[in-house]
Amino acid sequence: MHRFIATFFAFIIALMFFNMARAGVKKTVVKKVPAQERLDTSKIQVKKFDAAAVDKFRADKNFNYNEAQDDTSLWTRFWAWVWDKLFGWLKYSRYGGTILEYVLIAAAVGLLIYVVSKSLDIDPIKLWRGEARKVDMPYSESLENIHEISFDSEIEKAIAQNNYRLAVRLLYLKCLKQLSDTQHIQWQIDKTNAAYIHELTDPGQQQTFKLITRQFEYVWYGNFGIDKQAFSNIDALFQDFKKQLS
Amino acid sequence: MEEDEIFEQRTDLSKLSAAVDQIKTTLAKIIVGQQDSIDLLIAGILADGHILIEGVPGVAKTLTAKLLARSIDAKYSRIQFTPDLMPSDILGTSVFNPKTTDFEFKRGPIFGNIVLIDEINRAPAKTQSALFEVMEERQLTIDGQSYKMDEPFIVLATQNPVEHEGTYRLPEAQLDRFLFKIEVKYPSLDEEIAIITQQHQHKTIDQLHDIKPVLSGQEIISLRQQVKAFHVEDKLIVYVAKLINESRNNKSLFLGGSPRASLAIINAAKALAAIRGRDFVTPEDIIYVAAPVLRHRIMLTPEKEMEGVTPDDVVAQLIQKIEIPR
Repeated sequence: MHRFIATFFAFIIALMFFNMARAGVKKTVVKKVPAQERLDTSKIQVKKFDAAAVDKFRADKNFNYNEAQDDTSLWTRFWAWVWDKLFGWLKYSRYGGTILEYVLIAAAVGLLIYVVSKSLDIDPIKLWRGEARKVDMPYSESLENIHEISFDSEIEKAIAQNNYRLAVRLLYLKCLKQLSDTQHIQWQIDKTNAAYIHELTDPGQQQTFKLITRQFEYVWYGNFGIDKQAFSNIDALFQDFKKQLS
Repeated sequence: MEEDEIFEQRTDLSKLSAAVDQIKTTLAKIIVGQQDSIDLLIAGILADGHILIEGVPGVAKTLTAKLLARSIDAKYSRIQFTPDLMPSDILGTSVFNPKTTDFEFKRGPIFGNIVLIDEINRAPAKTQSALFEVMEERQLTIDGQSYKMDEPFIVLATQNPVEHEGTYRLPEAQLDRFLFKIEVKYPSLDEEIAIITQQHQHKTIDQLHDIKPVLSGQEIISLRQQVKAFHVEDKLIVYVAKLINESRNNKSLFLGGSPRASLAIINAAKALAAIRGRDFVTPEDIIYVAAPVLRHRIMLTPEKEMEGVTPDDVVAQLIQKIEIPR
């Protein structure tokens, strides 16, 4: 097979050399022709402009390049005067025309964005700053400020209504207020009960407050039922703790 | 005066407490430290959730997951995720049976009660997507046929941090299906000494074979039902809703928590309350589980990521903003 391919290529190369050799030996013969003079005898017709056609074009308004007469209304001319007074100086500056054009385009785009965002109830400034839209909480919960509650009257009211669960809660909040007022704890909205327990430095106070906290948690978070007797026991605990603080 | 003198226990938690103690004791025989991780693992099982364990190589992620699986008497399977793993390698595939001249479905390793997926982020998104249905709906649909998973069905997955070589970031949809992302940190000096000592004395290897199951699958189902019925005060539900809502409006976050995250916090807090011997949730339980529930669900803005802020930092900020309900 290889032998066949080699033979084939040798044949092609040989053929090419043969053709080149033939081209090289070919002679060209040039015949001599005597020179002859020929004269152009044809008549030349000079073309002239059609005067009528030129006049017709001159009469045509579309070909009138003279400045058009100002036929704008008085109202338009007034606004043109106002614009000229306001932004006329820009016209004569180097980039005046371009700047004015860009300012107007930007204002138009801004107005469009404002209208679209208003219609879709999106705040474009917050959108630009990457802020998410505030979603209104469906549940409105007002958590009391312990420094503003009139505890004694509220506790009395709760006991009178046999709402001992609420009474325990109010007792606990009152206790937190007392601890905050006496600088035993630093009141903060995000602090848990366990955090306040750890803030108490006196071991005795810490132990009692820990017990009080557990009672409160069982009653308030655990929804454990509480009767008058149970409330009296818990109330006694709170009174003991109050004495420890004073 | 103890609270028991005033309040009678309304839920019998003795069986649950005993089981939790047994699991903790079993794991503590081999795993040194990691008490928080172990609590969260047990809480995850009680809350019927899947758990993602992340940590650098060599911090006993797989060992912890394996031990937990061994302490439960249920069908256990392990899948090692690799870059060339195909969905059919996990789920199963239909094979032609020449005897019956019909296709038969050969179940994959996902058909188990406790499935340990090791190095989950070594496989690309195509393979991860195969887990979407089974993790959320506890069922598989292949060739138009649905297969229900046996209860309990728990996926315990381990992964290296995404910055590591040869890992892929898990799709958000899949991350959202994990109840917790537990981050396993390096041990302290004392813990490190204890690990070396245990290994030196060949304690770890010997004890690994002695691990006996302490809970059956049926017992887990029964404990889960008990935990589901726990009390959650209305104000605490509002507190969780506010927390998640705040995450959606936080400037540091590109993606906030989903409603699935709200449910996850409540369920996880109930399970944690059970471990702590209560049948009701307190704000402490919610705060404790907030970071493990949210850290893999929220996405930081690129600016905050570049500043080195972590999801846990943002969760702490969210907690600071919301008043503890009392």
